[in-house]
Amino acid sequence: MSVELSNYIALSAVMFFIGVTGVVVRRNPLIVLMSIELMLNAANLALVAFSRAWVNNAGHVFVFLVVTVAAAEAAIGLAIVVAAFRRAKNVDVDEVSRLHG
Amino acid sequence: MSLVEFIWLLPLAGAVVLWAFGPQLQRASGAVGSATVLVSFVATLFAFGSATGPVPWHQVLLSWVPGFTFGLRLDPLSLLWTLIITGVGGLIHVYSIGYMWSDRAIARFFAYMNFFVFAMLTLVLSDNVVGLLVGWGLVGLASYFLIGFWFYKPSAVAAAKKAFVINVVGDVGIMFAVFALYAATGSIAFSDIFARTGSLEPGVLAAVCVALFIGAAAKSAQVPLHTWLPDAMEGPTPVSALIHAATMVTAGVYLVARFAPLYSLSPSVQELVGVIGALTMVTGAILGVAQWDIKRILAYSTMSQIGYMIMGVGVGAYQAGVMHFFTHAFFKAQLFLAAGLIIHALHDEQDVRKMGGLRERLPFAFWTMLIGTLAIIGFPGLSGFFSKDAVIYGVLEHGHPFLYVAGVLTAGLTAYYMFRMIFLTFFGAYRGESSVEEHASLPERLMQVPVAILVVPTIAAGYFSVSFGGPSAWTRFFGTLFQVSANVAGPVLPISELGSSLLVLVLVAAGIVVAYVRYGAPAAQATAPARLRTETERMPAALRHAFWFDDVIDAAIVHPAQALGIAITRFIDPHVIDAGVRDVVWVAGALGAIFRKLQTGLVRGYALTIVIAAAAFIAYFATLGAAK
Repeated sequence: MSVELSNYIALSAVMFFIGVTGVVVRRNPLIVLMSIELMLNAANLALVAFSRAWVNNAGHVFVFLVVTVAAAEAAIGLAIVVAAFRRAKNVDVDEVSRLHG
Repeated sequence: MSLVEFIWLLPLAGAVVLWAFGPQLQRASGAVGSATVLVSFVATLFAFGSATGPVPWHQVLLSWVPGFTFGLRLDPLSLLWTLIITGVGGLIHVYSIGYMWSDRAIARFFAYMNFFVFAMLTLVLSDNVVGLLVGWGLVGLASYFLIGFWFYKPSAVAAAKKAFVINVVGDVGIMFAVFALYAATGSIAFSDIFARTGSLEPGVLAAVCVALFIGAAAKSAQVPLHTWLPDAMEGPTPVSALIHAATMVTAGVYLVARFAPLYSLSPSVQELVGVIGALTMVTGAILGVAQWDIKRILAYSTMSQIGYMIMGVGVGAYQAGVMHFFTHAFFKAQLFLAAGLIIHALHDEQDVRKMGGLRERLPFAFWTMLIGTLAIIGFPGLSGFFSKDAVIYGVLEHGHPFLYVAGVLTAGLTAYYMFRMIFLTFFGAYRGESSVEEHASLPERLMQVPVAILVVPTIAAGYFSVSFGGPSAWTRFFGTLFQVSANVAGPVLPISELGSSLLVLVLVAAGIVVAYVRYGAPAAQATAPARLRTETERMPAALRHAFWFDDVIDAAIVHPAQALGIAITRFIDPHVIDAGVRDVVWVAGALGAIFRKLQTGLVRGYALTIVIAAAAFIAYFATLGAAK
């Protein structure tokens, strides 16, 4: 039994919605960051799946790009989390709302 | 560097040197200023031959786009003006050394004077209308500097401002003429414009002539733009002699004569120019009768004489009008400089009611002033006699009997007010308080030299126009320049030239007699102080207010303009412009107050918004978008 394109896409969709739910529901910034990574990788999975299905390497190139951006985002995101923790002594994203209007 | 460039730029070099090194030069600046102008004059004499050749001398300085070529042109007309500007101007510079001897700002004075000479030369030597306009503006600027030279006097500052503003009215007129001429002929050069006059539409031609005349009227103090000239007497007396008598105020005459090929094709505008000239001539003479300030008498007399010139060149008697400019430059400069001698000796007293009996105390001033007066009233044999009669009779020859009558009558009035001044100043008993001192020091002697030199042309300058069989020297000098205006055989004239001269002389004699009876006779002299006081009190309101010209201009233009300015500062500026800016600020603030509410600072909220929006997009394209 070979793995169909639709299976990859389904897995990608599931991973993405798990990520979305994590971002929206969880209040721990570390979990939120992890959820974002999950969403990014869901998108990567969809890209490589399409790329392979249509024999077009452009999708692979996109994935490299996304991985790079994700690495940078993780570095910056964690730095922000650390800085925010030092100031506020807690790790609740809802408490970090001093820039409200 | 050509000779003409040298003539043109030397006074500018003088001005720059005086500006830069004024504090070091101090009184030596008078020598520098006079020398540059006099050297220019000598150079002009050497340029005589090239100007009077069959083709006008011409030099290109700078070429820009086609039709915009700047250059210098020396033909008989510009040569004549250059001779007067540098010659009479040089003499006045020498006079100024004495007159301004004790003024701390003598270097600044000579810098301005040299700058004026340069500006005036730019005006007359330019071969195109744009260069002429530049010179036109620069002489106005120089005039502003020099009228307001004693800037600590509020009246001088006001007079300078007034002169400048009224002159700018004229500059705008000329600017419009330049635009129209370039649009119609595609060139700014005189030679191109005159070669293409035939192709101009009559309406454009008339508009250009009128626009040019607005410029001429403002610069030459023609009614109703004359009100600045009497006020301009606030400047030092040499300035009055050079700028407001001999040269700058005659620029209007130059302009009309220069554009003779255009005016000759537009008889209705010629009529207008002639009538305005005649009005100015009469108005100036009438107001000259009512003045007590010796310089204001001469200022109104200048205005009246320029009226003669403008009337002459206006109706087409170009040679006569320009001739009157030529002789007037000498005798009016002499009158002003002699008046300066008196003012100097009386410690800045200018009121003729406080003079009298100065004949014995200031004999030199008396004799030079008397010669100047005889010249201006047209005493036979003196320069004014030839030129004024030429203008008056020329007007009749060109078919304007009313203007002729006005010219004849004004000649009588001229004799009256000039001799009124002579009698009040030099005869009877001295009525002033300050002591009369005729100094004999070097500066005072220096002032007498130019006045003495000017006596020669004041007497003799008219003989150029006398015909000794064949055309006169004057006609030969101009050659073909005014050929376009060559007079066709007019109607049979009711009076011969000799008869006309005799008529003028009778009126002149009558004017002198009336002046003698009222001011010169022993009976009048005996009661002079009381009589002058009652005469001052009973002066008709029209004369005291100079025919209300200032008041009418104030009421019609100045006050409405001020009211408009006040309305703008009080209403439009705060309630329209500033209010508009404030409203923009308020709108931005109000919008900000609404939209800042969206910024909750809750990151999860933002994420949810993005998710919902993305879901909406997907829903849209999955349903509606797919249907397309």
